[in-house]
Amino acid sequence: MKRISTNMSNYDMQYFSRIRQWEMNNLQNKMADQTRIKNLRDDPIAAAHSTRYLSHITRLTRFSKNIETVQSNHRIAEGYLRESNNILHRIRELAIQGGNDTYTVSDKRIMGEEVNQLLKELLELANSRSGDGTFLFAGDKNQTKPYRIMEGNFPGINGKLATGVEYIGSINPGQAEISEGSYIDTNMPGNQIFWAEQQQIFSTVDGTSYQVEEDSTILVDGERIDLSVGDNVYAIIAKINTSRAAVQAHLDPVSNAIVLQTTAPHQLWLEDEGEGHVLQDLGILKGNGVPPHNLAVDSEIGGGSLFDMVIHLRNSLYEGNTIDIGGSALKGLTLAQDQVLAKMAEIGAKDERMQMVQGRLDYEIPEMKEKNSREVDLDFAKAITDLKMLEFNHKVALQTAARILQPTLLDFLR
Amino acid sequence: MQSAFAGIEIGKRSLIAHTQGLTTIGHNLSNASVEGYSRQRVQMKAFDPIYMPALNRENTPGQIGQGVEVSRIERVKDMILEGRIVGQANGQGYWAARDKYLLMVEQVYHEPGELSVRSLMDKFWESWQELSLYPQEEAARQSVVQRSKSLMDGIHWQYESLKEIRSMLDQDVVATVKQINTYLNDISSLNEQIVKIEALGDNPNDLLDRRDLLVKNLSYLINITIENRDPDEFSIHTSGLHLIQGRVISPLKTVSDPLNEGYTNVVWEDSGETAWFQGGKLAGLIELRDVDVRGEIQKLDMMTVNFVDLVNEVHRSAYGRNGRTGLDFFQEYPAINNILGNYDRNGDGVFDSTYIFRVAGQNNLDPQQQIGLQGTITLSGPRGNITIDYFPTDTVGDLVERINVSGSEVVARLDRNNTLTLKAIPAAVNENPDFVIRHIEDSGQFLVGYAGILNASGAEGAYDWGGADAVLAFRGGNLDFAVAPLQHPAGWIEVNEAIINDPGSIAAGFGVNGRPAASGDGSAAIAIAALRNSPVMVGRLPSFDEYFSQVVADAGLRGEAAEIALQTENAIMKELEDMWQSISGVNIDEELGQMIKFQHGYTAAARFITEVDKMLDTIINRMGV
Repeated sequence: MKRISTNMSNYDMQYFSRIRQWEMNNLQNKMADQTRIKNLRDDPIAAAHSTRYLSHITRLTRFSKNIETVQSNHRIAEGYLRESNNILHRIRELAIQGGNDTYTVSDKRIMGEEVNQLLKELLELANSRSGDGTFLFAGDKNQTKPYRIMEGNFPGINGKLATGVEYIGSINPGQAEISEGSYIDTNMPGNQIFWAEQQQIFSTVDGTSYQVEEDSTILVDGERIDLSVGDNVYAIIAKINTSRAAVQAHLDPVSNAIVLQTTAPHQLWLEDEGEGHVLQDLGILKGNGVPPHNLAVDSEIGGGSLFDMVIHLRNSLYEGNTIDIGGSALKGLTLAQDQVLAKMAEIGAKDERMQMVQGRLDYEIPEMKEKNSREVDLDFAKAITDLKMLEFNHKVALQTAARILQPTLLDFLR
Repeated sequence: MQSAFAGIEIGKRSLIAHTQGLTTIGHNLSNASVEGYSRQRVQMKAFDPIYMPALNRENTPGQIGQGVEVSRIERVKDMILEGRIVGQANGQGYWAARDKYLLMVEQVYHEPGELSVRSLMDKFWESWQELSLYPQEEAARQSVVQRSKSLMDGIHWQYESLKEIRSMLDQDVVATVKQINTYLNDISSLNEQIVKIEALGDNPNDLLDRRDLLVKNLSYLINITIENRDPDEFSIHTSGLHLIQGRVISPLKTVSDPLNEGYTNVVWEDSGETAWFQGGKLAGLIELRDVDVRGEIQKLDMMTVNFVDLVNEVHRSAYGRNGRTGLDFFQEYPAINNILGNYDRNGDGVFDSTYIFRVAGQNNLDPQQQIGLQGTITLSGPRGNITIDYFPTDTVGDLVERINVSGSEVVARLDRNNTLTLKAIPAAVNENPDFVIRHIEDSGQFLVGYAGILNASGAEGAYDWGGADAVLAFRGGNLDFAVAPLQHPAGWIEVNEAIINDPGSIAAGFGVNGRPAASGDGSAAIAIAALRNSPVMVGRLPSFDEYFSQVVADAGLRGEAAEIALQTENAIMKELEDMWQSISGVNIDEELGQMIKFQHGYTAAARFITEVDKMLDTIINRMGV
């Protein structure tokens, strides 16, 4: 038979009420903090999951913010492009009108005047800024006006006119992360939008006997192309043609000089990396200048920008040259307008992509929050009933203890 | 011949015996609540009867009873149970210490929540995202600076808290050793008294109780076994060594250990040798201090070092708005101010080792490419070197993965430009410094010609830290390797002063062809933000996300295990204590019952004496003389 010492029931009572009070305290703390995990040990695995979910939610929210920023930039850019398109439309009308010999030379001169004003507006648009004061069409050189206007005189016209337009922005579009490891361009370099024709560069240096002297790298439209010692001109051409740049190279059959040509309308952007001089040796570049103003002086350059086309039209109108107005100028304008429309379509497509990502994020963020809540949040109904049950047990235990601990033989002895 | 007064003598004996009984009952009742007191029982026995076979034996039928006497007063006690309790208590001590301190460690993490280092780091990455959108804006740069500062504050705070816990543990070790020595002294002096009293044939019950209690308390602190074979020499052993033998004790001592950052080692005072314990509070404390909390600090250091190294690596190669480049975003302090990492480890005035944390290869690799080479890479491991074989059909990615799971203390990764980088992780063994690559060797050409880390293959081309100028084995120059950081980088790494003073120095863009980044170039900011979730090898863990969830799960699981184990130990101890109480505890009802018995015995004896008195009265006063 088990013997019970007088202190035992006391110890037992203390032991169990200690455990119960600890449980009650624990539960109360969790309810006060509204979490299931007061200390990591309450559910380590859930806590670990939760850290991942929380970080993930922060990232998703960030992506959502990035998308909003880029989308608003794109909307502004799209507005400017639409306006540019409207202007180009009017200029084309004038070109078609002016290509008609029923108009007199002075009529055409007045049309030229209108084109000149529209040209100014187009330049304003190309140099437009977004909401935060940065230039929209300058690539990542977004704090300098991307287009520089060169002025000169035109016979028979009073005052200075824009005779040429130079792009001084960059070709690197900024980027933003819109979902894990996936990026989108935040702006568009102007020399890809406001461009009309394919650009060609004809070197005048015979390249047949050329060999690369040391390992070097050339940059074509920002793409790095590694060349190694002994590469001849054919190897260089092959490497350019297989690179990701939208540029094709070939050897001129007559002069045996290298020819570079874009495969989509944009300005060619060529550089030798570091101290390299391959493109200089081949007669395409001069010196280690900054593109696009580093082309060799004696190389022939073909293909022009939207502004070149408009200026050409204006000049033809001033001169009353009907053949050029309805011919080369109109053709150039059509190409330019096509390019602007193509870029608008590109913006639209990017916007659609971002909308799809945003849609996914709108679904994913609440989903993640729900997952996290499932891991760490307290089930209140359960917690409260548990606590009530513990309270009840505690009361019962105390009352029982009060009765059992009381009587000893002492109470009955006189 | 029977004496006329014999009756009085018998009565007197009975009175004395019953008084003794009553006194003992009183003693039991008084000590009912004393810890470790075991109830005592008076053993009574019939007094030696007359006559014994001898010459003076009277020729009467016998024997004639001579009343009662107290033979001894003894404790009611189960010595086997006592041994069980002593054997079990060290488990309770061990887990109670773990439970308490691991809870503190868990609380340092502040997870899951908004105040944790992870959360601060999320904000840090987010500020770089913002900068990637607005590289031209001062506000975005300021937010990068401020969030980096608060991240560093968070890391420092976490380090300080962990270090604080480690110091607390150390103080607790010292205090526990003192307590153990006090117990040993007390037990020794009790042993002395007990032996003296027992020599006189008495039972020193109360002293024995006190000794048992002290032994029980001691067994909570360290694992001990009791030896009672020689009744004159009560001995206690721990892990096979004498702690106490009769009066002789082997006290413990604490000495500061320079190899362990000055924390104390527990040694035997006599021999000076390190004392090892398998259980009890002391073993728990030492393990917590040198394994658990040290491990937490190492993990934090490792995360910080990798984080800082990765951010700096990108930041150095990019340009600030003011055109500055080559600037570290976080200020790193090398362990030694020697760009070759040469270090005089034993302090004899000659460089004898090389402290290198990271080394990068010269060539750009393709993770999917099959290497087409065969050989064996040898890297430093926790204990001795570890070899990793590679075969022509392995891809670069396979081999990197294989190095990372090999268990070596060097990990590999392909960086932003896909060059192979080898990095050291904290050392498992105290003698080895943290964040130092100790050995790199390749019998084939992978690390040599293919990745471009070493100059030559085989043992002669190997890099080994045990000598000066070991970096000469590397193919790259001093931009391709980094000297090991000062100890505990989590405690001191700060944002570079140059960046705090001019946030324009924050490098947001890589620029093109050696020209500084344009104002809208956020490419470097994006590259830094992308470190967040990419495989960057934080020690053996692939990414920061992985690191944060791993440390949280690890700390939590250890805490959970400690809590469950402690509850189990408590339940077992409760069970044993209940058994002890059941055997040795005082029950007042029982004692009172006994008391009534003795009272009546006493009354009866008194009554008997009165009867004898009456008989004598008859003889003396009434007989007709």
